[in-house]
Amino acid sequence: MNIGLDQYVYLASPLHRWEPRCKLIGLMALIFAFSFVGNLSILPAMLVVTAAVFAVSKLPVSFMLRRLRYPGFFILAVILILPFVSGSTVVLSMGPLDLRQEGLISVLSIAARFLSILTIGLVLFGTTPLLTTIKSMRALGLPSILADMAFLFFRYLFEISDELRRMETAMRLRGLSLRRFSIHGLRTLAWLGGSILVRSYERADSVYKAMILRGYGQAGRSQYDLRASSRDLIALGVILMVAGGFIAGDILV
Amino acid sequence: MATGAEQIDGPVLAVSGLCFSYPGVADVLQEVSLKVMPGERVGIIGPNGAGKTTFFLTISAVLKPSAGDIFVLGKQVLNGDFCPEVGLVFQNPDDQLFCPSVRDDVAFGPGNMGLSKDEVEARVTEALSAVGGLELADRPAHHLSEGEKRMVSIAGVLAMRPRLVLYDEPSANLDIRSRRRLIRLLQASKETILIASHDLELILEVCSRVLLIDEGRVIADGDPIEIMGDDELMEAHGQEKPHSLVPHPVPHQKHFR
Amino acid sequence: MHIPDGILPISVTASGYAATTAITWYSVHKINQKENPREDIPKAALLTAAFFVASLIHIPVPPTSVHLVLNGLLGVTLGYFAFPAILIGLFFQAVMFQHGGLTTLGINAVIMGLPALVCFYIFRLRNIAGKGERMTGAFGFLAGFGGVGVSAVLLLVILLTNIPAELDASVERTAIFTLTLAHVPLMAIEGAFTALMAVFLQRVRPEILVGA
Repeated sequence: MNIGLDQYVYLASPLHRWEPRCKLIGLMALIFAFSFVGNLSILPAMLVVTAAVFAVSKLPVSFMLRRLRYPGFFILAVILILPFVSGSTVVLSMGPLDLRQEGLISVLSIAARFLSILTIGLVLFGTTPLLTTIKSMRALGLPSILADMAFLFFRYLFEISDELRRMETAMRLRGLSLRRFSIHGLRTLAWLGGSILVRSYERADSVYKAMILRGYGQAGRSQYDLRASSRDLIALGVILMVAGGFIAGDILV
Repeated sequence: MATGAEQIDGPVLAVSGLCFSYPGVADVLQEVSLKVMPGERVGIIGPNGAGKTTFFLTISAVLKPSAGDIFVLGKQVLNGDFCPEVGLVFQNPDDQLFCPSVRDDVAFGPGNMGLSKDEVEARVTEALSAVGGLELADRPAHHLSEGEKRMVSIAGVLAMRPRLVLYDEPSANLDIRSRRRLIRLLQASKETILIASHDLELILEVCSRVLLIDEGRVIADGDPIEIMGDDELMEAHGQEKPHSLVPHPVPHQKHFR
Repeated sequence: MHIPDGILPISVTASGYAATTAITWYSVHKINQKENPREDIPKAALLTAAFFVASLIHIPVPPTSVHLVLNGLLGVTLGYFAFPAILIGLFFQAVMFQHGGLTTLGINAVIMGLPALVCFYIFRLRNIAGKGERMTGAFGFLAGFGGVGVSAVLLLVILLTNIPAELDASVERTAIFTLTLAHVPLMAIEGAFTALMAVFLQRVRPEILVGA
């Protein structure tokens, strides 16, 4: 399956081969452990572990850089503002603005955590097809209502967005302006949104009929074939210990 | 395909006195009765709103008729039953192709029939091969062309090995090549099929029997050439004689049966 | 606006996950109480996707353009499916676009989803007030304005009380107040847009507004 995020799921690396459920639990535990870390002396270890995991995944660095750009903006804003408002120990005075020590330290932790968590997240979701991830969540206990909704959501997202584009084009050809603001324009866009909702609602009726025609709701639902080998479980154990280590380290050091 | 190859006694489909009304629209189907024997290929023609889709939805147990009986393979069909013996191919493949990947979608039906994982996989391969779409198995559903979507939605239905397959406007929106592929598939099918279509040429090529439906009633039932060649009858019910049946000074059409 | 990873302390993100689990459990419980829960799943899923796409519509607000949140209307149309829907939407946004964090999925869901549920309850009062176009428009405006407004306040409170800045209580309160005030024009646009959409839906497909 190939969508933007799934472009590297067919590489071969130990992380790609790791059983999806174990990978999900292990890497999410690591992500949460990282979010706990605040101690400056632990930060380098966190970055090293992150780099190691990323290297093992064989994902290209360009991929990571591209993906970090968008969420990076918000973090950048925080990084630029915080050193000037947080803390009382002034390190450098630049006219009316004082650079504070506590702020600088917080900013280092925030940046390091952000980088590490996002990178591990990219490894988690970039080495397994998205649908397989959802299937493993289902296998781990996600209610079927949510899993079914997720699959249908994903399936029709692109159709509906194509529909929107077509309707926008049609409206633009009839004079809708997306540059000026007007009540008339707002109303037209509201009707556009409303039409998208109505169409999806009506399509859902047919989809439901199609689903029950092919047995949706019948008891004999075959289960997903996910099997964890001992190697997968050992890897999970190791990652959980690393995660635990970071939490302990942050508290004790 | 192993479907429909076994001999069955009696009609595959027997409908008598079928009536249906929607809450706001009365008499969508009025006293429809017919029998379809094994192996028949029946074309159903008629104007929009004649009740063709509604008819299909009632005999596949999705809608509840207000009166009348439906028997499929000798067993009565009641609203809400799960009948994998009856397959319905929707007019819009996007409505029917609701799983994100082709493989998952074709496996959906067999998966709900309590089959083992290996059996399900075998059915998926079988069904996709039958429609010539095996290479599409790992594609996301929204990356398919109209023709490919049509083929995959048919595969999803065939994977349940139905005895009776209902096709609702199967050639709508298809390009010439895909349409030809569809016609060949229909001609090669061993199941009993009912095809509702405005594509009268397709019906001529595929079907051995035609039903003309208008305003919820069966107006005519019989030989395709006789019915579709009858100018008055066709025009009285919003149809036109298909091009092939219009007399040509230089005959160039072929009929396949 | 979704909170990214790295900023909030684990106490907040963990509470967010706990709250999300509880609310989701409650929603699923309520959904399963219906006569035929499966029947509404395709509707809920497709409407969620539609809302997702609709929130991508550019509303020109010179000099730039904005995207709407529409969580109020989502609550109104999806009812008990609203919270799971928002959770799913946020999950996909986090995974596909890195919009919003993974550790903050829970807290982001609460920020967007709780107001949606509240709007669902409030909109039901329309059954008492009357389903005419004026009423629908008024309640629609309320749902749009309130949905986004409450989300904005929640977001600001959570951010400002957790960013490691030693601001005293009154400074914090002023900051929250001022920033909320700055959002009022956007809230008004959401309100107006939601009102217009609600009236449209009332005319074309009133069943959508009843809430699954």
